[in-house]
Amino acid sequence: MSRKILIVEDDSSTAAYLAKGLSEAGYAVESARDGRDGLFLASEGIFDLIIADRMLPGLDGLSMVSAIRGAGIATPVLVLSALAAVDDRVDGLRAGADDYLCKPFSFAELSARIEALVRRSDRAATEPTKTRLSVGDLEIDLLARAVTRAGRSIPLGAREFNLLEFLARHAGQVVTRTMMLEKIWNYHFDPGSNVVDVHIGRLRRKLEDGFASPILHTVRGAGYRLAADPT
Amino acid sequence: MRLSVTARIALLSVTLALVSNLVLVGFVWTRTDAAVIGTVRRETIEQSDAMRAIYRVGGLPAVVEAIGHARAAGDTSLLLAVLDGRGYRIAGYAPPRIDVPLTPSLFLVADIDASAATNDIGYSLMPIGRHWLLTGRRLDLVEAERHAMEGALAVAVLLSLVLGVAAGLVLARYVGVRLNRIAAVIEAAGDGDLSRRVPVAPARRDAFDRLANQLNLMLGKVERLMVELRVVTDSLAHDLRSPLARLRTKTEQAVLIADPAAREGALGGLLVETDLVMRMLTMLIEISRSESVSRDRFIMVEPAELVEEIAELYEPVVEEAGLDFFVAIDASAPPMLLHRELLSQAISNLIDNALKHAAGGGVLTLRLVVHAQDIAIQVEDRGAGIAEADRAQALKRFGRLDAARTKPGAGLGMALIEAVARLHNGRFELADNVPGLIARIVLPV
Repeated sequence: MSRKILIVEDDSSTAAYLAKGLSEAGYAVESARDGRDGLFLASEGIFDLIIADRMLPGLDGLSMVSAIRGAGIATPVLVLSALAAVDDRVDGLRAGADDYLCKPFSFAELSARIEALVRRSDRAATEPTKTRLSVGDLEIDLLARAVTRAGRSIPLGAREFNLLEFLARHAGQVVTRTMMLEKIWNYHFDPGSNVVDVHIGRLRRKLEDGFASPILHTVRGAGYRLAADPT
Repeated sequence: MRLSVTARIALLSVTLALVSNLVLVGFVWTRTDAAVIGTVRRETIEQSDAMRAIYRVGGLPAVVEAIGHARAAGDTSLLLAVLDGRGYRIAGYAPPRIDVPLTPSLFLVADIDASAATNDIGYSLMPIGRHWLLTGRRLDLVEAERHAMEGALAVAVLLSLVLGVAAGLVLARYVGVRLNRIAAVIEAAGDGDLSRRVPVAPARRDAFDRLANQLNLMLGKVERLMVELRVVTDSLAHDLRSPLARLRTKTEQAVLIADPAAREGALGGLLVETDLVMRMLTMLIEISRSESVSRDRFIMVEPAELVEEIAELYEPVVEEAGLDFFVAIDASAPPMLLHRELLSQAISNLIDNALKHAAGGGVLTLRLVVHAQDIAIQVEDRGAGIAEADRAQALKRFGRLDAARTKPGAGLGMALIEAVARLHNGRFELADNVPGLIARIVLPV
């Protein structure tokens, strides 16, 4: 069964672009043109994800999100907005959105975030709290904060461990640089230089040096992926 | 009817001069009159007393004789006579018959002979035996004096009117000239010339000078803002051109590449350029936003913790760039209300700038210093530094130094740092690290 995504967006070209891209990625897409329709559709509770613009006619995006949360609907919401300042993002997250992405956006970034949100709600539903994560021959003990690969212990710093844990929780998915900055360092600005790449580079050397196969892959134009298989 | 300000000031001045002169003249006139009458009254009563004293000693003949000696030669205004019971003159100087009721009166003013030719007389009438003693003085002379004085006063009023008009004109002209100087500058500003200033004499500090000073200050501020705005717009256009031009060139090249792998690489390069433009725009928004961020965005933060987090994020980056990263944090900094995100971004910009302009310069230091009044978060490098003369330029929005114009980077970094420092009521300053640069955000505790 394909996952259902609700797009609430008044700009028809953006909505069409989103609908086309997400359909190609295998999602079932429905669209609403304003906040009232969006709220009406969302209240059915049948969607796996809602993508909402902020500046909507009728009912603005953030009010719609608040209303959805007020109605007890936990569907993850990703706010997509041209309001790009740090404080705008904080407002969006405070209103109950699960993620906030600024326009113009790269589709790779959007789809990575969508996948993360959709899988997260799956995990929350099916898996109890894990104490161990494993990706291929990589084993992560969350309680002891210890990492082994193919039986060999790999010493990691605290932040490196957090980075690896985040990647492992999204094993097989693309994780973007901004997602890592937001979730691991809690920064919502773009530091400009290749800060995240440097951290990933260090982690990668520790995970891959002396081992036969790569495990932390670079996805061009999008980010990184932790997986046993290269594709 | 509408009058010019000058005319109104002149009119007001004339009116005030006239009113004050009229009041003055009226006062002098009434007081002089009263004084003259008072003198006549006193003299008359004294003379009457003296004659009655003579009557009591020597009787009527002594009085008549005394009257003969009393009048000095040429004095025609003195009245001194003995009248019979019906008012006819018996001896002395007086009209042949007087017309007023014969009752004892100490001093009266009246026209006593009923002829039209004579004027008022101040007189005293006292009984002596069966006769009456008349003493007094014709007021003709007094009247003449009064007329002369009235004439003089009229001339004075006229003169004051003329002088008032002249003073009014001078005053109006003075005010007009000084106001016009200010008005001319304002009109020029209205027409777009913001460079003119009202001349102010340094020694003189009157209300016009205060007005002129304030106006000059305001014009200075407006001019500075206008220049800043123009610089921002020009630089924005200029700085956006380069990445857009590169984007265009790379796109053209990418279209022509036949090999799919190479084309993909070229397209990746396009994304990098696009992100650069987006980053510039986002930073510009942050800068203009930071001029008016409400205080509820601020949270209590330990400055040491905030700097530590940034240091942790940048440590591998600095080392990767071939520099030693030295972090010196004074943990005694008290918790402060800060905008965590913006301040972190400002510090990250400080480090980024140091990395860009001081690469290969040995050691880069991130330092948190705590003073009594403020804390300083500073990044010290060992690069080329910035000459003191260029530092103000470096702080301007988009104000990249010419030496840096060729390097990538939007030059917005410093401007954002300054905006964030201002948002926290602090300041951003550059200092010499001999050699190298110290870029410092100073925040009041």
